[in-house]
Amino acid sequence: MSLDYSALLYDPVYLELGVPATFVSGSVEADLTVIDDTRPKIIPAGSVEVRSVGPGAFVRMQELETNGIVRDNWIDAAMNFNGRTWTVRSWELRGSPNGEDFGEVRFLLKAAEVG
Amino acid sequence: MVDTREDILARLLVVVGTIPGLRSSHRNNVDITEEMLPAAIVFDGDETTVAGNDGSRPSNRPLLVEMTPEIVIAEQSDEVGSDLTTLRRELIKRVLLDTELNAKTGSNGKISYVSCQTDVGWMRSLHGALRAQFMFKYTLKPDEL
Repeated sequence: MSLDYSALLYDPVYLELGVPATFVSGSVEADLTVIDDTRPKIIPAGSVEVRSVGPGAFVRMQELETNGIVRDNWIDAAMNFNGRTWTVRSWELRGSPNGEDFGEVRFLLKAAEVG
Repeated sequence: MVDTREDILARLLVVVGTIPGLRSSHRNNVDITEEMLPAAIVFDGDETTVAGNDGSRPSNRPLLVEMTPEIVIAEQSDEVGSDLTTLRRELIKRVLLDTELNAKTGSNGKISYVSCQTDVGWMRSLHGALRAQFMFKYTLKPDEL
């Protein structure tokens, strides 16, 4: 494939939509650029619909690799961006036409414990 | 006018509202936001006549009925399982032991705890909901409606 989607697609998107974030997992600390993907979320409970948000963040796989962040570091990592601190509870890969190593990961987050 | 069904449901909301730790209580509200949690919602229950009421009799004769309201308790926290267990305990205890509720069911009525179901999922934190059903048996007196 001749097209480099990282340069043509992700770089301008992250330049426009990305925000600075800190990522901490044990001894691994890094400054990243993430796209805040906090979405509205509804969970039904019988007749009730409870409304909240499902926090998430996109990060480029290449940026994680550049900062020495491997998959073992993802779960339970602390991420801070846009004034809030979250904990990574799960993740899902978003591959690119150049392969998953050149795509994104969407971190599924939960509110960090206070205190 | 005496409407035992409405009296029970209105009292049930009051009783549910006394559960410690709740931030809000509602009746038939199907749209809850996280700011309201922990929340309890009382849903008006189905009502059926008790078998044995049928037969040849005047249509205005009192008859035994059973109402099965549902109460939903929703919460978000890291310990949502334990939280729901505590809220369930308080719910059952308060409904079954409430003097006013028991009085409203009358001398040949009763209150029973039927069952509960749970749902969990992720939102900002771990979300959990508990749906509990109770059965209220009481006399429906058409002449008093």
